Amino acid sequence: MDALKLDHITKTYGPRVVLRDLSLTLSPQECTVILGKSGCGKTTLLRLLAGLEQPDTGTISRPAGLKLGMMFQEARLFPWLTCRENIALGLPQGSIPQEVDHWLSLVQLTEAADQYPAQLSGGMQQRASLARTLAMHSGLILMDEPFAALDYFTRAQLQQELRTMVEQMSMGVVLVTHNVDEALTLGDRLLILRKGTMVWEERLPPGKRDLLSPSLIAVKKRLLEELA
Amino acid sequence: MRTMKGKLHFCLPFLAVFLLWDYAASQGFWSSYILPSPARVWGTLLHMLENGELFRHIRISLQRILWGFSWALLASCLLSSLNLLFPRLRNCYSGLLEVFRHVPPLSLIPLLILWFGIGELPKTIIIVLASFFPMYLNMDDGFRRCDRKLLEVGQMLGFSPWKSLWKIRLPAALPGILTGLRIGMGYSLRAIIGAEMIAADSGLGFLILDAQAMSRSDKVIIGILAIGALGLVLDGIFALLERKVLCWMR
Repeated sequence: MDALKLDHITKTYGPRVVLRDLSLTLSPQECTVILGKSGCGKTTLLRLLAGLEQPDTGTISRPAGLKLGMMFQEARLFPWLTCRENIALGLPQGSIPQEVDHWLSLVQLTEAADQYPAQLSGGMQQRASLARTLAMHSGLILMDEPFAALDYFTRAQLQQELRTMVEQMSMGVVLVTHNVDEALTLGDRLLILRKGTMVWEERLPPGKRDLLSPSLIAVKKRLLEELA
Repeated sequence: MRTMKGKLHFCLPFLAVFLLWDYAASQGFWSSYILPSPARVWGTLLHMLENGELFRHIRISLQRILWGFSWALLASCLLSSLNLLFPRLRNCYSGLLEVFRHVPPLSLIPLLILWFGIGELPKTIIIVLASFFPMYLNMDDGFRRCDRKLLEVGQMLGFSPWKSLWKIRLPAALPGILTGLRIGMGYSLRAIIGAEMIAADSGLGFLILDAQAMSRSDKVIIGILAIGALGLVLDGIFALLERKVLCWMR
């Protein structure tokens, strides 16, 4: 699958320049993590990639046939639909309804299938949102700090589940976060965005990550220095 | 569902009014022409139920309300959907609607009788005008104020504008729409009674006016109570519908 390309993108909100002449290539075969402080343009970049906003200048080339999915910072489940119905919305046309059961069990929500979002905890809502996004069978999933509002344990569990599922389904991810450990756990390629431009890049070897390994500690140190 | 205490709170004011009425009537403060006793009203009610007179008037008023209400609902759905799908179209008729919104429908009766006679059409128009605006405004507002975040989810799921309207905007607007329907139904009831008092030979409005002409205050009271009961039943149906449709909000 071809890469998604951003060519000299600029985006402003009033007098504020959020993205400045940004060029970037994103592969749908890996997990790219975009890090940066609040207000550096991470979410705007993701929204541009998703087509939810348009750049002021520059072009974004999306390969034909590349289906994009997006998981937002909040679960954004439809409150009038049950957990099962929300996930079913993500299924491509022609899917059999039983496929929902597969996704429900994958995110461990089988028992909550017929509950409404208001009856679910924050972690469960986020898992349902993840299942809905994955059920779309997208080539590339865009994730905007999807686990930011969750507690440490739920976040760690979901990160692990996400990594497993993405590997199983061989799909690409563009993840925006300001959590360094999350970036090191999930990312194949790490990018730092500062004041609307890309300032740093690092690739990590594939496979299971041990955050306490000397090599990852060294990467984390460099990352923190860049982010500071 | 009302608890026992709730039911008691609901019934107590009725009981108080009834006792006050019975007391006033038994003391003979006013003549029975002005204030008939509860016993006399009860007797007349039984007689009207027996000969079917009351049911006939209720049925006719109800038919008129439902007919006009359905047209108003259809018009509100159509117009608010058009507003959403073709936003510029709104400018063509928003001024006209704003003017008509402030005109009490009953003020149009003289013209409507002149143009259409005293048949069913003027009454239908009166009900449509009375119930259209609360329904239209709530529906239009609900569609427009839909959470942008949910619309973005629809966009990412590849929804077409129609699918987005059907799957996101409509359910999101349902609480407001149902409130509009409830208010619209109440307005229809008020409007039809007014219209029947001016230009009709049947229906609850006519029953009240006819009873007044015949100096039958007992029948006037029965007519008024029937309107109240009808309103209560219609509102109850909507409350039930709300509970059923908006179960996800509980």
